[in-house]
Amino acid sequence: MTTLLIPQLRRFTTALGLTSLLFALHAAADGPVGEHVNDLEAHLDEYSAEVVQLIDRIDGIVGAYDKGGLQSAKPEAVVEAWESVKFHSAIETHHVPLYASVWQGLVGVRTAIEQEAPIAAVRAEQEKLEQALWQSLGAVKLAARYQKRGLLPAVEATEAATPAETIDIIQRQLDRVVAKYAEQLTAAATGIVHDTYLQRFEGIEGQLIEQDAELVEDLEVDFNVTLPKALQDGAPVDKVRQIVEDMQAKLERAKTLLEEAEQNRADVF
Amino acid sequence: MQRRRVIQALAAAGALGGSPAGLWALAPNAAPAAPAVDTLPPLEGKLTLYLGHGEGGLYENVLEAIEKRNPKFELGIRRGPTAALANAIVAEARAGVRRADVFWAVDSGAIGLVDEAGLARPLPADLTGLLRPEFRYDNWAPVAGRIRTLPYFTGRLSADDVPSDIMALPDTGLSVGWAPAYAAFQSFVTAMRLLEGEEATLNWLRRLKPHATSYAGELGVVMGVERGEVDLGFANHYYTLRLRAGKPDAAVALGFTRGDAGCLVNASGILALAEGELPVNFIRYLLTREVQSYLAGEAYEIPLVSGVAPPPGLPPLAQIAPPAIDLTRLADLRPTLDLMRDAGVL
Repeated sequence: MTTLLIPQLRRFTTALGLTSLLFALHAAADGPVGEHVNDLEAHLDEYSAEVVQLIDRIDGIVGAYDKGGLQSAKPEAVVEAWESVKFHSAIETHHVPLYASVWQGLVGVRTAIEQEAPIAAVRAEQEKLEQALWQSLGAVKLAARYQKRGLLPAVEATEAATPAETIDIIQRQLDRVVAKYAEQLTAAATGIVHDTYLQRFEGIEGQLIEQDAELVEDLEVDFNVTLPKALQDGAPVDKVRQIVEDMQAKLERAKTLLEEAEQNRADVF
Repeated sequence: MQRRRVIQALAAAGALGGSPAGLWALAPNAAPAAPAVDTLPPLEGKLTLYLGHGEGGLYENVLEAIEKRNPKFELGIRRGPTAALANAIVAEARAGVRRADVFWAVDSGAIGLVDEAGLARPLPADLTGLLRPEFRYDNWAPVAGRIRTLPYFTGRLSADDVPSDIMALPDTGLSVGWAPAYAAFQSFVTAMRLLEGEEATLNWLRRLKPHATSYAGELGVVMGVERGEVDLGFANHYYTLRLRAGKPDAAVALGFTRGDAGCLVNASGILALAEGELPVNFIRYLLTREVQSYLAGEAYEIPLVSGVAPPPGLPPLAQIAPPAIDLTRLADLRPTLDLMRDAGVL
């Protein structure tokens, strides 16, 4: 069963800006998640080393671009370097929004080089990527602490038992939309939107419309028009992220309404 | 494929005549009143339930209440999409294992899939006899029903403008909203295919398509109708009732056809995979007056036992004329999807 954020953990993660510490995923889109994600503590040194190596490697690519231009840089190696490290699935399974930011940074560096942008612009993208990587390492370290204390369930398939849990899942799936879009996997991102609507939101909107019909109308438009259209039109990642964050705020309100309705519900027996 | 005993009996007696309509009204009170939970034996032991996605958390509330009432009863639940769980049950059986003792599915088609694989245990007649006669099956029990309806925009139409014959709808020129990817719509088209034949159904889809607007889901259809985007739509009854609960002045009302797929009554259902009294007695709890009242009041589902009021906002059930159809046959979806693709609807 999906475990809700306990209040203490929620407050802590919120204070650190880590509101989307992720608890459950089936598998990374790039392949099965390694067992290491269920034992983060034992792999923290390895993750730290990988982040340092990644930053060095990206710096080498950018340096090569500075000296020898596009031909010397081999920008495709930016993504290859990222996909080869275990840290990749550690952050994907434990903090999808930062995972998306890493991808946004990777694509930013690669695209700037491919478009032969001025070195200052490439360095600016590099700096954003490095920030995202360090933040991600911090998030994984935080997750490791909670995992060690038994506060995080194993990364595995989960199903919701209550509308509030369903909304938690929807919010995490929306984070994955941004992540896949940042990876430039637009079809995958669109597929997640579609599946999340049909398999998750559809299951709760009947109850929600009794509480707030306008809110359901808004979310219907978001799921079926606004977000898919932004993905289809190739909107900037930040724009897609903003749409998702707006939807998540509406879903928070939906969760409150459904929880209140549940408290007022008649007993079965 | 299992057929309903009552349909056979009525058909043999000529009660159906040339039309499958009217079973609902033929024997409205032929079942004994639903038992009160106090009359049931306590549950003791362990059961594993496979639970297909249901009405939000309402099925969960029922299960929790049953467990709370029976402290010596332990229920393990595996949740998932209904069709996926049905496939899992069949696959597990082929592999020689049985993990589920009971399967509660939101869709009777999934029940049919498991039943057809020969995995469902017969249920005792005193249990199935609690259900309205048209919902008695040998190997599974419908738990709660939902009616296919034609919600219409009251800003332009009145009840008289809604055709009573679903096959006549394309001739009306009315604009319609539908959700072809939605399982309930596909079950409705399956029912039409079984009742009217493949050619008539294909023709109906092709003729209606130029007047149709597609929506992702059926609540979306009802909301589109309410905004006046289309004249009427196809949706299960509870979406309209729920919208009206949240928006009492909503410009949408329920329309019904008669005796055809347009007013099909489908149901969630449960079957026992394990032998013994415990699975059967567990199922009895779902057919109690209390659980049926809860599902009617909170989930707007239609009780299928006697003595329990339907959800508010529905016309008297005796006025509704669903077709006679073996719900488990709705599992035969592939020909339906082929038809819908041929018609360019999917």
